[in-house]
Amino acid sequence: MMRPASLVGLAIALWLLVVLLLGSGYEQRLMALAAGYALMAIGYQLVFGQAGALSLAQGACFAIGAYTAGILGGRLGWPLWAELPAVVLVPAALAGLAHTPVRRLDGHFFALATLGFAVLVRLVAVDAQGLTGGANGLVGVPAFGRGPGAMLVGWSLVGLGAALALWLTRGGNGPALALVRGDADLARASGLDPERIRARGFVLAAGFAGAGGALQAHVLGLVSPDVAEFSVMVGCLAMVVIGGRGSVMGAVLGALLIGHLPEWLRPLGASYRVAYGLGLFACLLVAPAGLIGSLERFWPMRRAARPVAGQRAAPAVATLRIDGVEKSYGGIAVLRDVTLEVRPGEIVGLIGPNGSGKTTLVNLISGLDRPDRGTISLGERRLDRLSPDRIALAGVARSFQTPAPPDGMAPLDLVTAALAAKRGCAGFGAAAELEPLQGRAADLLQRAWSTDIARALALDPAVLLLDEPAAGLDAGERDRLGLLLRALAAEGRGLLVIEHDMGFLMGLVDRVAVLLDGRIALIGTPDAVRADPGVRAAYLGTVPC
Amino acid sequence: MRLFAVLLLTLVATKALAEPVRLPILVPVTGFLSLEGTSQRNGALLALKQAPPGLATGEVSDTATAPENAVNALLRVLDQGPVPAIVAPMLGTQMLALMPTAVEEKLALLTVSGTASLTERGNPWVFRFFPSDRLAKEAHVRYAVEQLGKRKLALIYQTTAYGQSGASYIAASAKRHGAELLFSEGIDTDVKDLAPILGRAAASGADVLLFHLHAGSTALAVRQVAALGITLPVIAGSALHQPATAALLEPMELKGVCAESGSSPVSGGSPRLDRFLAEYRQAFGADPDAYALAQYDATQMLLDILARGARTGEQVRAALAQGQWDGVAMHYASDGRGDMAHSALILCYDGLTRVPRIVQRYDGLDAG
Amino acid sequence: MPAELLTFAQLVLNGLALGAAYALVALGFVLVLNATGAVNFAQGDMVMLGGYAAVALARALPVPGLLLLPLVMAAMAGFGLLFSALAWRPFRHRPPIFGLLATVALGLALQEAMNALEGAGPQAGPALLGVGEIRLGPLGLSRASLGILLACLGLGLAQGWLLGRTQFGRRLRASAQDPVTARALGIPVDRLIAVSFMLAAALAGAVGLLLSGPYFVTPTSGTDLILRAYIAVAIGGWGSLRGAVVGALLIALFESVVAGYASSVAATAALYGAVLLLLMVRPSGLFPAPLGRRA
Repeated sequence: MMRPASLVGLAIALWLLVVLLLGSGYEQRLMALAAGYALMAIGYQLVFGQAGALSLAQGACFAIGAYTAGILGGRLGWPLWAELPAVVLVPAALAGLAHTPVRRLDGHFFALATLGFAVLVRLVAVDAQGLTGGANGLVGVPAFGRGPGAMLVGWSLVGLGAALALWLTRGGNGPALALVRGDADLARASGLDPERIRARGFVLAAGFAGAGGALQAHVLGLVSPDVAEFSVMVGCLAMVVIGGRGSVMGAVLGALLIGHLPEWLRPLGASYRVAYGLGLFACLLVAPAGLIGSLERFWPMRRAARPVAGQRAAPAVATLRIDGVEKSYGGIAVLRDVTLEVRPGEIVGLIGPNGSGKTTLVNLISGLDRPDRGTISLGERRLDRLSPDRIALAGVARSFQTPAPPDGMAPLDLVTAALAAKRGCAGFGAAAELEPLQGRAADLLQRAWSTDIARALALDPAVLLLDEPAAGLDAGERDRLGLLLRALAAEGRGLLVIEHDMGFLMGLVDRVAVLLDGRIALIGTPDAVRADPGVRAAYLGTVPC
Repeated sequence: MRLFAVLLLTLVATKALAEPVRLPILVPVTGFLSLEGTSQRNGALLALKQAPPGLATGEVSDTATAPENAVNALLRVLDQGPVPAIVAPMLGTQMLALMPTAVEEKLALLTVSGTASLTERGNPWVFRFFPSDRLAKEAHVRYAVEQLGKRKLALIYQTTAYGQSGASYIAASAKRHGAELLFSEGIDTDVKDLAPILGRAAASGADVLLFHLHAGSTALAVRQVAALGITLPVIAGSALHQPATAALLEPMELKGVCAESGSSPVSGGSPRLDRFLAEYRQAFGADPDAYALAQYDATQMLLDILARGARTGEQVRAALAQGQWDGVAMHYASDGRGDMAHSALILCYDGLTRVPRIVQRYDGLDAG
Repeated sequence: MPAELLTFAQLVLNGLALGAAYALVALGFVLVLNATGAVNFAQGDMVMLGGYAAVALARALPVPGLLLLPLVMAAMAGFGLLFSALAWRPFRHRPPIFGLLATVALGLALQEAMNALEGAGPQAGPALLGVGEIRLGPLGLSRASLGILLACLGLGLAQGWLLGRTQFGRRLRASAQDPVTARALGIPVDRLIAVSFMLAAALAGAVGLLLSGPYFVTPTSGTDLILRAYIAVAIGGWGSLRGAVVGALLIALFESVVAGYASSVAATAALYGAVLLLLMVRPSGLFPAPLGRRA
């Protein structure tokens, strides 16, 4: 059985063939132009569709590619073979430069920063007359001609580009990218670096757009600043969203549709541009997940992954050491001189009233925040200066208090994403095959109590930080969770468990650390802690146990 | 048998002659130049309306703003068979994109675009019925230097193809006539507050302000000059002569302001012009501008050539290149490169009405 | 006052009027953003529509612009209701990019419709307080600019009062922060959202009328405004009303002052350069709003 994307691909290939063999010069020209848009849109799927960054610079990169072709191929007379790498590399390099200072930005702040880049590109196109020919543009770019030639060249490039894009997002990359666009913090805790992945997506997308822009320049035989207008970017967004976000075939379909729509509407006469706007609106209305996505809804293809037990090799064991850690927010000390160890195979409970600093400590260990003073290390390795994703890969994984899987992500994908991250092959490039990963993920899901613990286990951690794992569980479920945690400790892993449920915790742990007002008030066996009068007064007295 | 063949051929030939010629009108009727593009369309349609019935039929296609749209529109037209000539868009970048196809398909492009370089590329299929920027800006500068006796110029131009091309010719003309360009700066079409730039232009020591801007910016600039109390004489580009532009301003704001243009239909002046004015107003319910008149003249010359039997692009091209036409706006004849118009006007407003008065006429501008 | 300082003061004064208009557009944008989380890229095109409504009304009713202002705002409020039914309702359960693109598509259709109806040429709307200049000591201010300033100040304060001091405002903020709980508490969330769209459209209509007199209106005149509003809202903190106003004023002052000393091309380049710098220093804008995470 074929997937809808492959069927759509087949239909597009057929359409192209018909136009190539039977189409008029006009129809072939529209196809050649659509090829340029398709390259831009395929690239945009990487940065926006896959990595989830709302870039508004893709149109500008298209323009940079067109101008690179205009200047090198037209003005300087470079041959095509020399020009082709340049039209990809120049926009990619400029995009890389532009991205570096704004890589930390998120959402619409990132969109605005990339919009600024686009405005500056347009400004150069219009006002740097010596370089770009100003508003009159550059003429005399060698033209591919009107016949089937331009169309063939263009769609060969689209074929190559589509293959490259599919290769870049193959295997374990898919779930990993879904996690990056779904929830950046969760991605970090799963060993993925969203900033780096987005930066890569942005640069790759620029390369694709550059090739598309150069293609347009060679089809038209000229470059004008119209390529740098914001309408190109809006068109690109529309192609990707209407075609189907994230899908390479969706991008191609969207490019064909948006490229042809105004021309199809021409017979309407004076108001055809109004019809174009309404047509765009109608496409958005009828295809809630984009055309490809909506097709897939009628065509559920989700294979149930069969659990495949991984080799239960013993994890690399190491001791987590927290030494003299202090942290304050806005002058208020939250943690004061906290020193704690979690040894291999040991389960340590962390208790304390609300606001005593438990979650802050877990955030510091897992790298979401940095201590003001003190060190955290795993074995010989200092963790307190590493980013969350490095810490997760180094062997300290955490679960979250209220794990909400990102929109539309199945538990299996979430765990697969972490598995892919652990293999160091996530985010455009090296990839592990999907099926074995999914089999392993299904196995972990079967074993672990919650999706989030399964995700953490996927990182094969030496130390596991669990934030209220028993919250909301009934007695039977708590028993199963307890068995799992003991089994994990028996494998040699160290566990640090925050829990309010004293009955559950005291029966589970080897040692308990009591955190009061940001200080470790006491560390000892459950019995010793239970017996301590100070702890009873400050904390345990409120909870019958 | 032979007789039959001859009869058939004659029949086909007469039928070909009897069939109306398709005249595609490819102009921007959407996008930022659609005011001018609509004038082009109206001028061409009016000429077609007055042509002998059955001679030619117009087919209007929008070219919007991007060059690929113009080429798409032309290729679409050509799908239905060859045409000898088209009314081609005002936008210089669209013309540049169309020109290679015109060579391949052997069809004449009749335009009113001012971009000077169009006729400097050795393309024999381009015919321009409007003074090019080179000529228009020569008139612009000569009026300032010769008539007003000003030698220190300040220029504000638009950062579009029209603006940048004009600015470079103003600089060249100023040099030729011994005037100094003390201030020259471009503005984007979205700039609303021109006070900062006008302030600096006035403070530059110039004794005359030249504008080379599109309609909206021209009106804003003229209005803000009046509001700021800047007393320097103002000579605007051809956008100001458009009745739609002048209509944005109070007559008082226009007092003493002059503008360059190819013609000024609303100013009247000859019986033929008055008749054109009346017919245009009746047909479209609006006042014509110089672009409408120029495209009207161009289309009439083309229709005359068609009426005399030319049917192929080559025949039309030859007739346009060698012929002369006594148009309503001026006398048209090619200078060998496709430039048909060689005259430009300077118009001034008296502060009482929005109809400008012709104060200076420059003929044979490219003779020297 | 020394001449240099005087020039500077005059440039600031000139920029203030446009800044006030940008601020009102940005306020409408934030209002819908806070109520729905939706990004309304057609806010600029609504300003354009309001401008044409003002032109049409002024043609039919030759009265001062001040009297037309409530009429235009009422008409645009009605349009806002229609707009929310088209651009927000069908897309509210979809990823936000759909709603964003839907507003872009509808805005495009609006632009092209006005182009087909009225042509691309600029048209002049009614003047609010007549024409001419008013002297403020050594500084000059056109009546048009004064009108824009006063009207924007009045409308801005009215909106501040409405959101900050009334039952309506409290409910709106509650339902924006947590629509599920608000609904459970019996707050008519959907109606509040419709009202937000109406208010935003009315503000857009007001700006349309105010700008159509001194600066004319064309089918594409909303495009520049929405870009500025978007910048203003983002650097203001994506959701902060105060931030949006400060952002809009900063943009206008920047344009006016840099264009006054360098050039308008330099002003555009410098504006975006400054925005990039600002975002590097404050990645969540000047006044980070709790909604910022939704961005």
